[in-house]
Amino acid sequence: MLIDRSQRGWAMASLAILAAGFAVYLPYASISPAGPRGGSAIGLLFGVAGFAFMLYAAALGARKRVATWRLGRAKAWMQGHLWLGLLALPMILFHGGFHFGGTLTRVLMWLLIVTVASGIYGALLQNLIPKKMTTDVPLETVYDEIGHVRALLAAEADRTVEACCGNFLSEDRALPSGTDPTAQRAGGFTALRPIAASSAPLRTSAAVSAGASAAVAPAAEVVLLSESQSEPLRSFYVLEVRPFLERPKERGLRLSDDARAAGAFTALRTLLPSAAHGALDDLADICSEARQLRRQERLHRWLHGWLLVHIPLSLALIVLGAAHAVMALRW
Amino acid sequence: MARTRTTKAVAQRIDLNYFKKATPFKSAKLWLAVLAPALAVLWIGWHFLAGDHRVYSSGGLSAAHAVLEKQCEACHLKEAGGFSAAARDSACLACHDGPAHHPEMTASSAPKAKCSECHGEHRGPIPLASLTAKNCARCHADLGTAGTGSQFAKNIASFSNRHPEFLALRPQNGGPPRDPGTIKLNHALHMKAIRRGPSGPSVELGCGDCHRPSLSGDTHWEYGDKNYAAATVRYTAADSFEPAGSRGLPAKRPGNDGKLMAPVKFANACAGCHSLAFDKRFEEGAPHDRPDVVHAFLVRAFSDYVAAHPAEVREAQDPGRNLAGRAASWPGQTVSPAQWVSERVAVAEELLWHKTCAQCHAISGTRLEDVKIARWDAAGGRTANRVSGRSLAPLLQAALPDIAAAHTRLDWLPHARFDHDAHTGFSCTGCHPNALKSAESSDVLIPGIAVCRTCHAPGPGHASAECSECHTYHDWSRRREQEPVFTLPALRGGGS
Repeated sequence: MLIDRSQRGWAMASLAILAAGFAVYLPYASISPAGPRGGSAIGLLFGVAGFAFMLYAAALGARKRVATWRLGRAKAWMQGHLWLGLLALPMILFHGGFHFGGTLTRVLMWLLIVTVASGIYGALLQNLIPKKMTTDVPLETVYDEIGHVRALLAAEADRTVEACCGNFLSEDRALPSGTDPTAQRAGGFTALRPIAASSAPLRTSAAVSAGASAAVAPAAEVVLLSESQSEPLRSFYVLEVRPFLERPKERGLRLSDDARAAGAFTALRTLLPSAAHGALDDLADICSEARQLRRQERLHRWLHGWLLVHIPLSLALIVLGAAHAVMALRW
Repeated sequence: MARTRTTKAVAQRIDLNYFKKATPFKSAKLWLAVLAPALAVLWIGWHFLAGDHRVYSSGGLSAAHAVLEKQCEACHLKEAGGFSAAARDSACLACHDGPAHHPEMTASSAPKAKCSECHGEHRGPIPLASLTAKNCARCHADLGTAGTGSQFAKNIASFSNRHPEFLALRPQNGGPPRDPGTIKLNHALHMKAIRRGPSGPSVELGCGDCHRPSLSGDTHWEYGDKNYAAATVRYTAADSFEPAGSRGLPAKRPGNDGKLMAPVKFANACAGCHSLAFDKRFEEGAPHDRPDVVHAFLVRAFSDYVAAHPAEVREAQDPGRNLAGRAASWPGQTVSPAQWVSERVAVAEELLWHKTCAQCHAISGTRLEDVKIARWDAAGGRTANRVSGRSLAPLLQAALPDIAAAHTRLDWLPHARFDHDAHTGFSCTGCHPNALKSAESSDVLIPGIAVCRTCHAPGPGHASAECSECHTYHDWSRRREQEPVFTLPALRGGGS
C-alpha cells in the first residue's frame, strides 16, 4: 500500500493516539512508586488497547480470505492494519513499562517487535518496489504464471529457430514443460498442442489462436537456411538460448545480462545472412522478456518475502497474547 | 520483422485459476502460518500441562526469593471465589515482619500500603529493600502527621529535591553549627608536620592515625601506647559520649552502625606523643583516667618510691633553685615520708591539672590557686606547705578538678546510615576538606549534603540517590521473629 496523502487521516489519528498514550504514561510512570506495571489499572488499559490493535491488524487476514464480506473497503482495512498495528508496539511498551518481563512476556515482546519491524519493512518495500517493477519489468506477468510463460517463450523460441534452421530439436523439447493442457485460459479454452517446426507462415490470427504459445506472433517471410548458414544460429541456440530459457537462475549465463546479451546477438548477426536477422531479433526479444521475468521473480521475492516472517509470527503473537492475557489476570 | 503482441494472446498465457494453484511461496506461507501458532500453542500448552507457572511470570524474582521461583502459590493466594491469585500481604507476613513506620504515622495520615506496592516483585534480581524515592515521596513530599506535627522537613521529594541540609550542619540558636565535644583539638595543627614530643622528630599525621571505622580490627596504632590501650579505665561512656538524643529508626541489621568512625581514644591516637609524665623519677606516665584515680595512683607511686628510697626525705636545696642568690640559713631539710609524698603529689598534680590534662580537657572546680606549691622558699623554707595552718593532704584531695565530659558525638547523622567502608576509595580530605584548616574544636567537620550530591544524584554516571541508601522505613526495634514456614527438602521437592 502506498504511503501517500490518502493516509493523512490515519497518520494524524495515530499520532494523536500515541501522544495521548505518552500523556498518560509519563505522569503515570513518574508517580508509580514501584514503577509502571502491566497489572496496574493504567497498565491494563494500555495492554487492552495494544492487544485490541493487534487483533484488528490480524483481522485483515480474515478479511482478505473472505473478500465478499461487507465489512468496509479493503483499503480502509489495510490502512487500519498499517497504522493500528504500528501503534500496538508503543501501547504494549507502555503496558509493560518498557520492561520485557518474564519468559512469556519476553517472547511476546520480541514477537511483537519482529512483527512490527517486518511490517514496516514490508510497507517500505511496497512503496519502492512497484515503481521499480514498472520501470524494469514492462512485460510483467502474473507471478504464479511465470514458469508457464517461460515455457511458452521457450516453445516460441524453438519455433522461431526451427523456422530458419529446420527441425533440429527433439520432439519432446518443443512442448512447454509444466503446462496444464486443460487449464482454462483467458480468451477461451485452448488446448495446447505441440507445434512442429514448419515453414508455413505463422503470423495469422488463426495460427495465433490455434498455437497456444503464440502470445507473440513470429515474423513472417522466414527463409530456411542451409545447414552451413544456419550452423552459427543452431549452435548459439543450443548452447546459450535454450539453457538460458530453461534454467534462467543459473549463474554465469551470458544472456542473463542485458549488455552481454546484446553483444552476443550483435556478433551473431554478422555471421548470419540477412534473411535470418528477423528470427535473430525475435530470439533477442524472447531472451529480453525472459530476463524481465527473472527480474520480476527477484523483485517479487523482495516484495512478498517478508510476509513469510510477518504472518506466522503475528499469528503466534495473537495466540500467545491471548494466553498471556488470561494467565496474567489469573496470577 | 519484430514480434508483435496481441492482448488476447498475452491473456491466453494466464491460467484463469492460477490463484487457486499451490505455488512454493503460497505453500510456504500457509505452512508457516499454521506451524508458528501451532508451535506457540504446543509450547504454552506443554507448560500448562506440566503445571509450570513460571512461564507466565511477569519477570524473574528477586535474589532473596529466587528459591520460590517454582512456588507461585507461596505468595499468590487465591481467595474463595476469586479468579485472580494476587500476592497478598498475609503471604509476605508469613515469613517477614514489617513493623510500622514512625509512631507519628497513623492510618489517617498515611493509609496502610500493601507490601507489594513498595516491594514490587518480578523485576529480576534486584534488592527488594532498595526502593525508589517515589515510595517515600508519597508521604514525605507533603508530610502530614497526626497530633502535634512532625519535627522533620515536610516537603522532601527526593535526595536531590528539597532534602534539607544535614541536621548537624544547620544553624543552631542563630549561630553556626557547633560540635558539642569538649576535647580541645586543633585539626589544622595536627594535619601539618608536627614535632613528636618536646625533643622528638617531626611527624606528619594521617587521618587514619586517629580515625578508623569501628569495625576495623587494626591493632597497630602508630601514635598510640600499648600500655594505655591495655589499661582499664574508670570513666564511663557518659563521661565520653554525647547523650543520645533523637535518633532515627534503627537499621534492620545493627551491624551497619559499625561502619561509622570509632571515637578517637587517647590510648590509640594521642599517647604516642602526648606524654602524661608527672615526675622525672618515673618512667611511666599518669593513667588516663578520672582525677581521683590519677590522685590515688600518684599517692601510691610516690609512697612506693619513698619506701624504696628513704633517703629522698632528706633533701638538699638545689643551688640552682636559689634564685635570690642569698645563702640559705639551712641548705637541707628532712621531712616525714607522708609529707614528702604529699608535696610530690601536689607538684605532680599541679603539672597535670594545669598543663598536661588542660591541654585537651576542659577542667574546672580546681582550687589550686589556694595551694602553695611544695617548692623551696628561700625565705621561709617549707612553711609554705601549709595553708592557713591546715594540713596539705585534705586540701589536695578537695582540690581534685572536674573534667568536663568529652561529649564526643558518635553519630553525626542520627536519622540516617553512613558506611565509611563503602567509601574507602576516596581520600578523607576529599569529603572533609575543612579538617585541613579547622583550628577550633567546635567546628563541625562532616561534609554537607552538597558533597554527597556530587556523586549521589539521579541519572547515569551517578551513585544511587534513593532514600533507602541512607534511611530505613520499618521500625525494626519493634520487629517480631516469625515462625519459619518452609523446610528445605519440601521446598526443593516443590512443596512448601
